[in-house]
Formats: sequence, C-alpha cells, structure tokens
Amino acid sequence: MIEFSGVCRTYGTKVAVSDLDLTIPRGELFALLGPNGAGKTTTIKMLVGLLRPSRGHVRVAGHDLVLDPRGAHLHLGYVPDEPCLYDKLTGREFLWFIADMFGMPRDLAGGRIAAEIEHFELGEFADDLAESYSLGMRQRLVFASSLLHDPETLVLDEPMVGLDPRSVRIVKDLLRARTSAGMTVFMSTHTLAMAEEMADRVGIMVRGRLVFLGTVAELRERGAARPDSAGTGRESLEQLYLDLTSTAGGESPR
Amino acid sequence: MTTVGRRDSCRPITADEESRLFLRLRLQLARATLRSMLEEARLRLSLVILLSALFWGSLYGLFHEAFAFVDSLHAEVVPLLFNAFFSSLMLMLVFSTGILLYSGLYTTPEAKLLLTLPAASATIFSHKFQEAFWFSSWGFVLLGSPMLVAYGVIRHAPPHYFALLLPFMVSFVAIPATLGGILCMVLVAFMPRLRVHALSIAVGCALVAIGGLAWSVVSSVRAETMSAEWFEQAFSRLGITEQRLLPSWWLSSGLIEAATRTNDEHLWPHLGESLRFLAVLIANALMLQLAAGWVASRLHRLGASQLVGELPARRQRRMSWFDELLSQAGTTRGRPLRLLIVKDLRIFRRDIAQWSQFLIFFGLLGLYFWNVRVFDYQHSYAAMIGFLNLAVVGLILSTFTTRFVFPMISLEGRRFWILGLLPVHRDQIVWSKFLFSFLGGLGPCCLLVGLSDVMLGLDPWLIAIHEACCVSLCAGLSGIAVGLGATMPDLRESSPSKIASGFGGTVSLVISSLFIIAVVLVTAVPTHAFLAIESGSALSSLAWAGSPRAVAGGLGIALGLGLAATALPLALGLQAFRRLEP
Repeated sequence: MIEFSGVCRTYGTKVAVSDLDLTIPRGELFALLGPNGAGKTTTIKMLVGLLRPSRGHVRVAGHDLVLDPRGAHLHLGYVPDEPCLYDKLTGREFLWFIADMFGMPRDLAGGRIAAEIEHFELGEFADDLAESYSLGMRQRLVFASSLLHDPETLVLDEPMVGLDPRSVRIVKDLLRARTSAGMTVFMSTHTLAMAEEMADRVGIMVRGRLVFLGTVAELRERGAARPDSAGTGRESLEQLYLDLTSTAGGESPR
Repeated sequence: MTTVGRRDSCRPITADEESRLFLRLRLQLARATLRSMLEEARLRLSLVILLSALFWGSLYGLFHEAFAFVDSLHAEVVPLLFNAFFSSLMLMLVFSTGILLYSGLYTTPEAKLLLTLPAASATIFSHKFQEAFWFSSWGFVLLGSPMLVAYGVIRHAPPHYFALLLPFMVSFVAIPATLGGILCMVLVAFMPRLRVHALSIAVGCALVAIGGLAWSVVSSVRAETMSAEWFEQAFSRLGITEQRLLPSWWLSSGLIEAATRTNDEHLWPHLGESLRFLAVLIANALMLQLAAGWVASRLHRLGASQLVGELPARRQRRMSWFDELLSQAGTTRGRPLRLLIVKDLRIFRRDIAQWSQFLIFFGLLGLYFWNVRVFDYQHSYAAMIGFLNLAVVGLILSTFTTRFVFPMISLEGRRFWILGLLPVHRDQIVWSKFLFSFLGGLGPCCLLVGLSDVMLGLDPWLIAIHEACCVSLCAGLSGIAVGLGATMPDLRESSPSKIASGFGGTVSLVISSLFIIAVVLVTAVPTHAFLAIESGSALSSLAWAGSPRAVAGGLGIALGLGLAATALPLALGLQAFRRLEP
C-alpha cells in the first residue's frame, strides 16, 4: 500500500507538489497523468526516497520513506525513466547484485534470476557487459531487477520509453498478473492509451495539485456532465484530459 | 501465481553482508575494466605504466640528489621539509577527496540507484569513500613514495623503514580523505546552494595559504640563493607547519624514527617510537571513519534530497555583451562560424569543471612565474628557465586540449541532428572548434609566458622568440586536438572524460607532447648555444650552433612545426568530418 498524507514539496518559493493526500491500496494499478512540470517526477522522487517532502509523510507498506527508508525500500521496486546500470557488469551479475542487496536466499535468488531472464527474453545477452546494451535492453533488465525480490509496490516512471512493441506487451501482461496477485503499481505516464488500458484508477496532476482522482469511467462521466458536452460519454480520453488540464492550468491545444 | 511480497523473499542484510557485497561489486567492476583495457586499450595502459614508471624514476633521481645535498649540509632541515610537504598534501587531500566524494555520493547515476536500494547510508559512504581513497592515495603514493624511498636510501635506513612506508602512507591519507568526506556531506546537507561558492572560497583560501607560506619562505630571505645561510633562513620559516597535533607531524616523526639507523642495541627504542606514531595515525583514521559513518547515516540522504530539490540556476535570457559583440562583429557570411564559437563559449562558462581547472592550473603557474625573480639566476640559465616555463605552459595547455577540446567533435556527433539540419557547412563546425581552442588558449598562454620572461629579466628578442613559440604551440595543439578529434570520433560515448581517455585521446596527448618537446628543443638549443658563446663559456666548435642564423633557423623550424601540426591534422579532420555518418 502507498500512502501520501498532506505532502507538500517546494523548490525555493515554487510549489511543486501541494497538499497531496492519496492512498493506493494493495493490488491496484494507479496511473499518474499530467502535463510537463505538473509535479509527477517530484511525486515519484518522494515515493522512492530520492527527495524528502517539505511537509507531510510518504509511506510504503507502512514504512515512512524519511524515517525508515531501508524498511520502505525492501517493499519497493523502481523502474526509472533513465535506466541506471553498472556498465562493466553483465546483466546477470547486475541481477545477482540486486538480489543480494535485498538479502534474498541464494537458491531462491538463482531461480528468480533465471525466471526473469527468461520472462524478459534477456538470455541472449545476459552475460554481455551492460555497456553494449541498447536502451530497450537496459530497460528490460531494470524491469527484471525491480521484480526480483517480489516487491509489494512497484513504481514506474514512464515505463514504456525505449521498449519495442513486443516488450511493451510483456510488461503489460506482467503488470496485469502482478496486480491481480496483490502488487501495488504506481505509474507515471504521458501515454493516455496506456493509462486507459491498464489503470484501475488515474490521478491527473496540474501545477502540483491532484485535480482528478478516480477511474477512467468516472473521468468520462465527468466529461459527459459538462454543459458543452453532447452527453454521449464517448469523448476520447485525450480530449477529456486536455480539457481538464487546460481548465486547471494552461491553454488546451484544442 | 503466488501472492507478491512474501516475507521470505527478502530481508534487510547486515552491515557486514553489505560491505562484502560492495567489495564483490568493486572486484567485478575492476576485473571487467582491466579485461577491457587489456583487450581494447593496450596502448593506453602501456603508456600509463611507462609514463608512471618514468615519472617515478625521475622523481626518485631528483629527490635522491636533493637529499644527498641536504643530508651532507643541513640534515636538521629534513623534518621541516617533511612537515611542510605532508601538511600541504594533507590540505590538498581534504579537498580532492571531498570533490571526488561529492560526485560519487550525490551526482552520478550510481548514487541515485544506491539511494533507491535498501542499503545503509554508512555503507554507501564507505563504498564510495574507498573509491575516492584509492584515487587519492594513488597520486600520493606516486608522488610521495619516490621521495621517501630516496630518503631511506640516502640515510641507509633499516629494512623495516621500507616495510613501514606503505602502512604509514595509507593510514595518513585516510585522515584528510575522511575529513574531506565529512566536510562534503555537511556542506551538501546544510549549504546545498552555496556548495560551489563555499568550496571555491575554501580552495582559494587554501591556495592563498600555501602560496603565502611559499612566498614568505623565499621572499624574506636576504642571503645569496642556495647558500647555507639561505637554506637556514628559508627553512626556519617552515617551522609553522611543525604542529604536534597535525597528522603530517605524526607521519614525519614516525618515518624519521623508522629511518634512524643505530646498532641493534638501540634499534628498538626508535622502532617502538615509530610504531607508536603509526598507531596514532591508524587510531585517528579509524576514529574518523566511525565519525564519518555516523555523519553519513544522518546526513547522506538528507543531502541527496537537498541537492535533488535544488532549483536549477537561472540563466540570463539576454546574451551577454561579449557574446553579442562576437556574434555581430564581422561579415554576415562568417556569422554561423561566430555563433558556433559563442555556443561553445557559453558551454565552457557554464561547465564548472572546465573553467575551474583552467583557473587553478593557470593560476598556480601564474603564482610560480610571479615568484621566479626571487631566485636570482644567471642570464643564460634564466633563458633556459624561460624555455622550460614555455614547455610547462604548453604541457598544461595540451592536457586541456586533450581533455576538453578533443571530445568536442565526438559530442557534436551525438547532437548531429541539431547541427546536421542547420544551414551550416560541416567544415565550419570543425573550424569553429579550432578557433575556439586557439583563441581561448592564446591569451592566457602568451600572458603567462610574457610574465615569466619579464620576471626572469630576459631581453626583448628572447621574449619575442618565446611568444612566437607560444603562438605556434597554441595553434599546433588546437589543430592536433580538433583534427584528431574529428578523425577518430567516438559517437557512442557521452562522457567527455571517457572520450579523452580512449585510444584517440591518448594518441592526441602523445603527439601533443612530442610536438611541444620538438618546438622547445629546436629553439632552445641554438638560443642556449648563442648565449653561451656570447658569455664566452662555450667551445668554439659550437659556434655554428650558436650563430644568429641558427637561432633564426630554429625559430623558423618551430613555426613550421606549428603550421604542420595545425594544417595536417585539421585537413585530415575536415575530410573525415565531411564523410561522417552519425
């Protein structure tokens, strides 16, 4: 479970995230949407412990990210938008490093590493140095490493960047399977179709504030209820999103 | 599928397990790096080993001669020398390790990865500290070991002195290195915005302190240079570095005790005293490590968050007057070229690593040149020192052209989608890099060479020769770096330091060094012969080498070499860059 309670984050006088209260229960896939500079990256950074909130608390599986970062990280998997690997380690060595860092028993780790290598189709290059990997290969390896310890919570920052269609399918299938098994997924994305297809709930953030929180169906209802709407509820998610972000923030490119 | 997050799948690992894990990681990385160096960069590895051995050997020879001289006349000044040397080094180690740790703990992608893993801050600090410590001690061992071995040889030190050298050096380096680490974490946690200014002020103060000490030592001495009285007066001023609470004093005293040769009966008191100093160093190093671990557990994550939360510095929206002037001056046809130079100039100004190293190296050279007059040289020696200073300026410039100018074309290759689509001829891109490097280096280098020559009291014709050689060096070094950078680009690498340390960068550095040596030799030899004949101290058989015609010929060859070093690599580079397919 993920919990943001009364979270604010400022950069000097600029408010990046304001009064964020959000709880994402076990087994939910949550997609955070918003225009550039809305505060999505700041929210993700606070969720993975790279940034401390100016006010409020962020908790993962009941562990506060500031007071007990190690406890929280044990329950957390993270796939950043720019994958970081050790260039002079092979993919397999990197996976072993991560497994050992999470204190996984050797036999369990060995089995999981083999399974993830197969799952993400890494076998062909698992024993090559990471410096020779393409962006997509790096991203798949980071995905595999983030799932090794079977975390309760998975945080994804623009997860599909650099992935080919086949890898995108693998990731989507995996997310569906893991969330139905109880994993909580927090995903930041610009791909509305992805959010529409995958997310149980979406949050739309504009200028640091969560201006919408609910299911895609609720977002459509909200669109249909607008006075200027035809009331069919069939408007594209893209148009609803643009309307919402332009009402709360800048101009819509409509 | 089973439910996720089962408690038996992971657990927090102990500090010992974490340390072992990071050790294994380091060994794996070191092995892979060594293997790829042996496979792909044998030339660079051989050159590094060869040059290090040469450097070590030369330093050993120099220190051997110096200690032989000092030992025969003024043995009592050795502790003063050691204290001054080690205390200066200690100050430098504090800053160098602090800067290395700043990058390792906070700014690299690895630092961000480690912060998202369940690793204890103290262990992350220890992991990155060991890396920084290795880099710091490598330099210290390369610089300090020839001096200490030479001292031991001159003093006929017992074998245990040589055995104790490494433990003494390692335990000593650990103290300033750990202090640097603590300073870095405190600065980042509490003054994230002011860290660059605070560090610059601290480094500036340290340099001024060292420079001031050196100045006070040499400038206030009134006796004849290098005489016994001169040494006595100069070294008495170094007493300020002999503080018993400083680790440099423990190191100096411990080593001097260990080097004391007595008969077997009196061996133990000296050895025991030396071991006591070693124990003090080790105990303090370990205590500081504990303190650093404690500081890391409290401040590392806080500092990382402070840095991530820092707003990027605001840039001026309008061009600076200089950029405006440069981009508007001249013909419309040459405007794209000038705009490219302005772009590189802005990147240079905003890259602290570039201009700070430029300032530190050239600032230190300037400080040294400002002080050369203190040593009252004979006229022919002064001319030779002028040539040596010219070579030093060239060598420093060559490190900059290799480190910063050579990778420029490779980095442009990565951004080729910008430049490739602009209405700019590819040749102009290469020419803009050359002009940027040449014009950027010309001013400071000519100024430094001029300062050195004026302080040495050289004749105007000698100053003119040095300045002409300096122009030749600036053009040639820029041509080599830009030309070879365009001929051997590495379009996959985004790190300029990695591009510079690759095969092309190594070739560029070696050719640059040979070029500098050639330019300085062809002008210095006939000039020295000419001055020696003029003063009547040369053999008549050397008259041909010391004629005014030979001096002019030497200068002509130096200028020709400069022209060749500019034109040939640039022609190759232009040709290669026209054919480049990113």
